[in-house]
Amino acid sequence: MFFFILTNNNSNKMFFLFILFFSTLISISSNSWFGCWIGLEINLLSFIPLISNSKNLLSVETSLKYFLTQSLASINFLFMILIKFSLLKNFDMNNIISIMMNSSLLMKMGSAPFHFWFPNIVEGLSWMNNFMLMTWQKISPMILLSYYFNKNFLIFMIIMNLIIGSLGGLNQTSLRKLLAFSSINNLGWMIFSIMISENLWLFYFLIYSMMIFMMISLFFLMNMYFMNQLFINNMNFFIKMNLLINFLSLGGLPPFMGFMPKWIIINFLLINKFYFLTFIFMMTSLIIIYYYIRIIYSSFMFNYFKMKWMNLFMKNNMFLINLSSFISISSMILSTFIFM
Amino acid sequence: MCFNSFFFLFFFMLINFFFFVYFIMNGLSVFFEWEIISFNSMSIVMSILLDWMSLLFMMFVSLISSVVIFYSKSYMNSELNLNRLIILVLMFVFSMVLLIISPNLISILLGWDGLGLISYCLVIYYQNLKSYNAGMLTALSNRIGDVMILMVICWIMNYGSWNYIFYFDFMKNDYVMFIISFMIIIAAMTKSAQIPFSSWLPAAMAAPTPVSALVHSSTLVTAGVYLLIRFNYLLIDMFFFKVLLFLSILTMFMSGISANYEFDLKKIIALSTLSQLGLMMSILSLGFPDIAFFHLLTHAMFKALLFMCAGVIIHMMNDIQDIRYMGGLSLYIPLTSLCLNISNLSLCGIPFLSGFYSKDLILEMVSFNSFNLMVFILFYLSTGLTVFYTFRLIMYVMISDFNLMMIYNLYDEDYIMLNSMFVLLFMSLLSGSFLSWFIFFYPYMIYLPFNLKLMVIYVSILGSILGFMVSNMGIYSLNKLLLSYNLSSFLCLMWFMPNLSTYGLSYIYLNFSQILFKNIDMGWSEIYSGKGIFNILKNYSVFYNIYQMNNFKIYLFSFILWFMILFIFFFI
Repeated sequence: MFFFILTNNNSNKMFFLFILFFSTLISISSNSWFGCWIGLEINLLSFIPLISNSKNLLSVETSLKYFLTQSLASINFLFMILIKFSLLKNFDMNNIISIMMNSSLLMKMGSAPFHFWFPNIVEGLSWMNNFMLMTWQKISPMILLSYYFNKNFLIFMIIMNLIIGSLGGLNQTSLRKLLAFSSINNLGWMIFSIMISENLWLFYFLIYSMMIFMMISLFFLMNMYFMNQLFINNMNFFIKMNLLINFLSLGGLPPFMGFMPKWIIINFLLINKFYFLTFIFMMTSLIIIYYYIRIIYSSFMFNYFKMKWMNLFMKNNMFLINLSSFISISSMILSTFIFM
Repeated sequence: MCFNSFFFLFFFMLINFFFFVYFIMNGLSVFFEWEIISFNSMSIVMSILLDWMSLLFMMFVSLISSVVIFYSKSYMNSELNLNRLIILVLMFVFSMVLLIISPNLISILLGWDGLGLISYCLVIYYQNLKSYNAGMLTALSNRIGDVMILMVICWIMNYGSWNYIFYFDFMKNDYVMFIISFMIIIAAMTKSAQIPFSSWLPAAMAAPTPVSALVHSSTLVTAGVYLLIRFNYLLIDMFFFKVLLFLSILTMFMSGISANYEFDLKKIIALSTLSQLGLMMSILSLGFPDIAFFHLLTHAMFKALLFMCAGVIIHMMNDIQDIRYMGGLSLYIPLTSLCLNISNLSLCGIPFLSGFYSKDLILEMVSFNSFNLMVFILFYLSTGLTVFYTFRLIMYVMISDFNLMMIYNLYDEDYIMLNSMFVLLFMSLLSGSFLSWFIFFYPYMIYLPFNLKLMVIYVSILGSILGFMVSNMGIYSLNKLLLSYNLSSFLCLMWFMPNLSTYGLSYIYLNFSQILFKNIDMGWSEIYSGKGIFNILKNYSVFYNIYQMNNFKIYLFSFILWFMILFIFFFI
């Protein structure tokens, strides 16, 4: 059922979805760089049919853009692998080739400074495709990144990610672009967590994808693509509440779920005296929370308009919505009981 | 509600009277102790001391309050929420009684704080701006005294308990007692409105008249004197008592002068109360606590009566308190003017009314014992000033022509008010002699030369002549010319001391805070945080958007550029 939704009610695309999953597994579980590259290629090839719909001109254009950037990144990656094999015999991570390899992987992910395609493409996709783009497609580049990264370079990239993610989102009204910039920002956190430990990255990634899933499923069910669609007065209170909690959780506000991974990362930062980096993490999070709260505040407090006919088939999905609110609110507290 | 509380308080007064007579005749004093809780080595004990002084004072307080509540049934009959006023007055009486009967500082603090708080509630009873300001002034001035008593509680813990009456004889020259005595004197000065804290008493006349009769004439303001009478054995021969003498004599003098310039009826009476309070404090600081107590009680009687007469007159004058509108009232309202006259003359010390016994005794003690010239001069001068403003008041209110309107109805037959005044009239006539027979077992030995003995009468006659002459002056008279404007305003406005408590304290800070608020809160701190940062971020975001909205090939080209830049950057 879930796969059905993911493939936009088209069962032909379920085949490509399965191949997509397997491609990531190929990429991360290979013992040679070449195998990783193969996985990345299969990933690209299987994602393109998922997002392209020949009846819609915008989605064709989007899939073409996606193809161009990702293939450029894959070519780059292959080239750098070959250079590494031929020129470098020793396994020393912080060198020039690792910079080039990391750059190509960052281009695959949509991280700054190679991020310009990302908001564009996100704007052209439907919500479920966006969900795949923002969560699943990031797995294999990140894990590959963790195999061979250059610390200094990556810290520079992290700072750029954070700043661009926060500043770019200030001026947006499209919900997809908003989530895209938030995704870029969270990429910064995730890359840093890769440098700490892979376990922590997994933890962050899982929580992030859970939060994104909750938000995107809410937007998908309400069929909302722009910010002015949030201000409808006769939305159910629980839906608005869920929206509020999910936004705040995504921004990393304490009692909600999204605070937990950020807390652990900040703990690590402070113990190891990365003070300047902590400052940048904090300030950009503040900007992000600002524009989330701006949306939620207006949505809660001001009455914009009340639609006469509103078909929201929400009754079947109230369970999911309530469950997601509950998880967002209580996860952090319940997690302390797990480890007791 | 009024009748119930009147009967209850009257009955209470009779009980107190009975016990007072019994106690003083047999030389008894009873000390009750109730141990509330005892835990390990700490015990909380509530104690009550009943000796003749506290019983007598309780009798007078309950008499005045019962009469005032009965009076307010008619005075405040157009008040919708009269029950609130009665309840407040009852709580006030309760706090006062608690203060009177308590031998330890905690229950004194309870009574003292209760008095301050309830007098605030009573002053702001009419909810207008003037009452608000007056209430603030009253409450905050009294608060200083509360703080002082709290500190005394803290310091007296050095001795182990808060029952101060046990420590007088033993600890007299101790350093801690020195500090305690200083703070007690300051507390009494705030409550009884001596010189640095004297601005609240004329301002508190914004309260309803029965409240003024009870609170600001006899009970609240005498609480400070009572406290000092209780602490008297401690404070004699200490330095601060001499400071208190100086300040209280000046209070007496200053308020006597200021009352001569006032035209508001209740303010004149308030300043007269202030003057008599100064008299009480000064005779106390000279070392005669029993005479101070005697004057406290007789003063309570005639001052409450005076306030009640003022209330009747204000009602009759269509709620006007200015004495320039009144005149010739003795012809129209004989019974009220009877009470007014007797209380005024008793205030002046006319022989054989009640005020004579206490005032004359005070003046003769001052002359007989050897005090310095300033004390002597200021005492007699203040007595003369008392007669001066009293006669001025009598001339303005009762003797000259009626100044209000052509058609008038001066209604003197309100027997509720009149009956309550008659009770006090009876007491004001007789309480002087009655108290002197009870309190003083043997009379004071006074041996004075003839002229010194008659000094009181000389000063009184001089004061009355001056009062007559001043009130006869017309518009174009010497004391109303602009030539003496500076002097007149200095003397009238209580030597500018209220500014210390009101304008002087608040102006600087309010001005400064306005500057700070405009320049920093609404100015620079908006640019450096808040609005300024928001504008910067917004501009950055707009600037970034220029890069975001581009052709696709430009993106791809930028990737290549980034590759090269990063390569070069990290290579070198």
